[in-house]
Amino acid sequence: MRIEEKLYTLRYKKDDKSHLKILDGDKCLECEKEYGDPQPCISICPANVYTWQNNKIVIGYENCVECGACRIACPFENILWNYPKYGKGIALRYG
Amino acid sequence: MLEYDIVIVGAGPAGSAAALRASSSGKKVLVLERGPEPGSKNVSGAMVRKDYVTSVFGEGMPFERNVERIKLSLYNKDKPVNIEFSPENLVTTGRLKFDKWLSSVSENAGAMVIPKTTALKVNWDNGIAKSITTDRGEVSAKSFVLAEGVNSLLSMESKIKYDLKPENAVQTVKEVYSVKKEDINSMFNMKNESSGVAWRYIMTDPLVAGFLYTYKDSISVGIGSPINQLVERKIRPEKLLDDFMEKTGISDMVKGYSLREYSAKVIPEAGFPDINVSKSNVYLCGDALGLVDPLTFDGISPAIASGTIAGDAAVSNIDPATYKYELMKSSEISKIAKERKLEAEFMSGDKAKEYIEMVSSIFSDWASGNLFGIRNTMVNNYRNIIPDLMGFAIKMR
Ligand SMILES: Cc1cc2nc3c(=O)[nH]c(=O)nc-3n(C[C@H](O)[C@H](O)[C@H](O)COP(=O)(O)OP(=O)(O)OC[C@H]3O[C@@H](n4cnc5c(N)ncnc54)[C@H](O)[C@@H]3O)c2cc1C
Ligand code: SF4
Ligand code: SF4
Repeated sequence: MRIEEKLYTLRYKKDDKSHLKILDGDKCLECEKEYGDPQPCISICPANVYTWQNNKIVIGYENCVECGACRIACPFENILWNYPKYGKGIALRYG
Repeated sequence: MLEYDIVIVGAGPAGSAAALRASSSGKKVLVLERGPEPGSKNVSGAMVRKDYVTSVFGEGMPFERNVERIKLSLYNKDKPVNIEFSPENLVTTGRLKFDKWLSSVSENAGAMVIPKTTALKVNWDNGIAKSITTDRGEVSAKSFVLAEGVNSLLSMESKIKYDLKPENAVQTVKEVYSVKKEDINSMFNMKNESSGVAWRYIMTDPLVAGFLYTYKDSISVGIGSPINQLVERKIRPEKLLDDFMEKTGISDMVKGYSLREYSAKVIPEAGFPDINVSKSNVYLCGDALGLVDPLTFDGISPAIASGTIAGDAAVSNIDPATYKYELMKSSEISKIAKERKLEAEFMSGDKAKEYIEMVSSIFSDWASGNLFGIRNTMVNNYRNIIPDLMGFAIKMR
């Protein structure tokens, strides 16, 4: 089963603004040189939130399952990681 | 601005235990929870000790099945070595129901719980915390408990602790499959819907700690693996879960049943006693202190134990050294502190591999009557494996 299909099982309320942000795009380039493609944030994410397009990280924040791993995995501390606001984001039934 | 005696961030097991304790001693308590309801953001297996939870929160804990049997499978290459035993007092539970119940017990004791509210920042004045800014305004209090879980943004922003390193953090992914009650009973040979199993797995190369728990009408399965290992080898966590399910035969078991939920969460592997536990009138507890055993995934009991102590600490405003001492006095907490080094060694890859290869070769020699093989394995290994193995099995209880 593809990740996107797995993510369909989740109840989700989209926040208008992304709760995730890349601080410095140049660091991602440096990161790609050092670690290759896929970079750590891409390979650790269980929800396909990050993709590498035209030498830039693109964030599909609405897929995020709020696990926290990308923030810890990024070798450049380059992810500004916050929680979605006002109760938005995922809502688990089992947990 | 709203004013309270104590403001608690997070309505997980740690936060609700702190809220119960503080409101029971007559304080005006507010709990802030970012999820639409308590538990909706939280991930566990989950297997918990019912008697322990009851000793703090009273009767009425919602649970799925009693764990009648624990099976531990140690994989070396493709064939596992299995150890089975019957535990007492363990039950499986889902976090939404469980956390909602914990939170309602704290509300009954007088705590005010506000969901859908994210705490953003602790505001300090001269080294003393005065208030918390949330996405819905500011609340002030005399003391604060940060029971915010593994992604402890407020504790980090207040410089009470630093973030986890990839080598000290385990990435987990979990799936819940909808399976009919009767089918679960026959799959696991259970006499009725109140009996269930817990199955734990350890695999090496890459190192994976896995679990399968039976709920009433669903099966929960998941894995955890150190983040540094996943990143170094560029292993996708969801792929690791797929491979794990394939290898253990769980994929066949759940074939034809529908996936009900997919989730993921980091488990901390570092923290107490090596980090600050509080700063002035702000107290940390639970996963924010890293109080979870990364191999057995036992984190709910230590969260409750530390939350209870944090609730007391916030009431009487004790200093960091006293708070740390109080935490250390709890056996739920001190056992994690003591095992930290052993766990780190085990989780660091090579050791785990060495260890499991050793154990499984002993068991397979044992099973095939190859006593010479056992002697060889023992002689060739510097460690005394029997006590280690027993210790490991006991911890799984
Ligand atoms: C896959 C997996 C399986 C596990 N299995 C088991 C098991 O079988 N048995 C067991 O005992 N343990 C298990 N654990 C560990 C257990 O889940 C944790 O140790 C436990 O949940 C810690 O409790 P806590 O209250 O400290 O944190 P959490 O349960 O994470 O609660 C923190 C709460 O704070 C809220 N919050 C966080 N930040 C904010 C903010 N800024 N504003 C408002 N609210 C906020 C969150 O929404 C959450 O409700 C497992 C963990 C994982 C990941
Ligand atoms: S891991 Fe960090 S630095 Fe590397 S690409 Fe991802 S966000 Fe950028
Ligand atoms: S928090 Fe987890 S799910 Fe969200 S982007 Fe980071 S790794 Fe992906």
